Amino acid sequence: MIVAGLDIGSATGKAVVLADGEILSSHVLQSTANPRHTADIVMTRAIEEAGLSSIDELDYVVSTGYGRLQIPFAAENLSEITCHAKGAHWMDPSVRTVVDIGGQDCKVISIGPGGRVLEFIMNDRCAAGTGRFFESMARALCCGLDGISLPENQGDDSCTISHQCTVFAESEVVTLVNEGTDVRNIVAGINRSVATRVASMVRRVGLVPEVALTGGCSKNRGLAMALEAKLNLEVKTLPNDPQIAGALGAALFASEKAGASSADPGSLREGAVG
Amino acid sequence: MKAQKTWQTFGEATRTIVNPAVEQWKQGGGKVVGFFCSSVPEELFTAAGLLPFRMRGTGSTSTELADRYFTSINCSFPRHTMNQALLGEYDFLDGLVCINSCDHVRRIYDNWIRALGTPFVRVMSLPRKIGEPQIAYYTDEINILKKDLEAHFGVEITDDKVRDAIKLHNEVRGLQKELYQLRSADKPPITGSQALDVMVAGTAMPKAAYRDLLAEVVEGARESEGVGDYRARIMIVGGELDDPSYVEVIEEQGGLVVTDSTCFGSRLMWVPIDEQEEDPIRALAKYYLYDRPTCPRAFGDQPRRIEYIRDMVKEFKVDGIIGERLLFCDMWLVEHFMTGIDLKADDIPFLHLDREYVMGGMGQLRTRVQAFIEAIEAREA
Repeated sequence: MIVAGLDIGSATGKAVVLADGEILSSHVLQSTANPRHTADIVMTRAIEEAGLSSIDELDYVVSTGYGRLQIPFAAENLSEITCHAKGAHWMDPSVRTVVDIGGQDCKVISIGPGGRVLEFIMNDRCAAGTGRFFESMARALCCGLDGISLPENQGDDSCTISHQCTVFAESEVVTLVNEGTDVRNIVAGINRSVATRVASMVRRVGLVPEVALTGGCSKNRGLAMALEAKLNLEVKTLPNDPQIAGALGAALFASEKAGASSADPGSLREGAVG
Repeated sequence: MKAQKTWQTFGEATRTIVNPAVEQWKQGGGKVVGFFCSSVPEELFTAAGLLPFRMRGTGSTSTELADRYFTSINCSFPRHTMNQALLGEYDFLDGLVCINSCDHVRRIYDNWIRALGTPFVRVMSLPRKIGEPQIAYYTDEINILKKDLEAHFGVEITDDKVRDAIKLHNEVRGLQKELYQLRSADKPPITGSQALDVMVAGTAMPKAAYRDLLAEVVEGARESEGVGDYRARIMIVGGELDDPSYVEVIEEQGGLVVTDSTCFGSRLMWVPIDEQEEDPIRALAKYYLYDRPTCPRAFGDQPRRIEYIRDMVKEFKVDGIIGERLLFCDMWLVEHFMTGIDLKADDIPFLHLDREYVMGGMGQLRTRVQAFIEAIEAREA
């Protein structure tokens, strides 16, 4: 049984192809202005990488993410909250708190047995503390996202970015740059400001270890380090690419749906079947 | 067919400011007094022969004109409502009664008297604590308003007239509650957005005519087959929610709204005004301050408010609660935080949603509601 999950987000499109509970392929690319188009390209790539010739070979497709309603070949759509919980749980069943930071929002999800969502909160309707925020800061520092994320670029805690608004924070950073502040200290300040905000969201849902980061911003090591300092615990490193957690979760639900309608339930890892 | 026309009437009254019933009232020489907040004793207007009209910003698309008087960190409800007034939508009012329900809404009074020429504008002072001294104080406030109304509109508001008005408004409350209670069925006869149509229309039409139409709706609901194709039974808790399309978004995701605690919803009518009280003005004060379910502006009353929610959960077999809040409302922010903690202890799923008075950010709203309903289903699976 071959199924796929598709996560069409605000910044990137992600696809995962699963065969009998194992990941055959996954693909991530920049979102286009048209979610359907993004879905077509990312799905085609993932199918090619899985060694399949056509989308028709898939038994079931589930979509998630902001573009989830626009995918003609998806039999069903689920919210990205449900999917990230499922995907993160599959990657590491010890995870109880998922911090998903994507291109334009940030969610903290408390998960229970089988990767079920117990509770979640999302940030307000703006880009504060999300991928867009980091992109703006990287632009202000002329450094690219690596400049913000690499562990060796994290300076001391002498800089505080007080504004949560992306636009105001960017001008704060520009001021610091023009005062000749060490860029590594500004970078640490940027990551700490997002970590502070995320940590209070985590506490609101209830801090239950293990904590894992998913979504595109999980690639920011500096953010993970700042969050570890704030929460005073180790953020779990997931064994798979945490950016595909949502697409993987969607694919796992696709397996369940396809399994429910065929005799072969597949051989999904423990906990993946609800 | 008759019922269908009534639903149309209610829907129209809810989705506009000036509806045909108000127009007809005005054409017949009747006068209309607008009021903010469900704590204003509208029975007094009815007793004076005036049509009470609850203020809304319905139909607003911008706060361009109001933002001369308000700022972007003021609540969007007074901004949109003021904008509608500045556009002339409230020119039909013969009077307006404001109240210090919250700091954003009470500022409408200050700005209204500068910017608009409504002939009779008053502001009431509603106590924040609940107790005998406060009931006595609010009785005085209502008596002051009564005298002002009598002087301005040239009418005498006798105790008997107030008692008659209380009786009429109580009849409306009784019918509304009956309609709500039919929704405790496994197949509720109406959706949550229809229920809001009924409730909002009741604040925008002559009461006696509304009561008669409402009786038809209740009659029809008793025989209705009901709505069965939902995924979860939802209760909405919050403040100023008068927009059925917001409820529709929740219901499109499969969350049938079966009851609420909002100030256009059940809090308007769950409890009747005491008709046995000797002084009807004191009965009004006691009702608006204490008898009816309070909102978070009342100090120290959160335990009663959460009990009200718990009773509703039982009676309406609620699967999950959505706490809605208009952005920048500090009262509902803290209230929902406490409600969330209490409901967590009860193991009742709770979702807090911020919103603007005029709907926007639909994608994020859908995602949150969808995820909430998925989580409720996963609990039950």
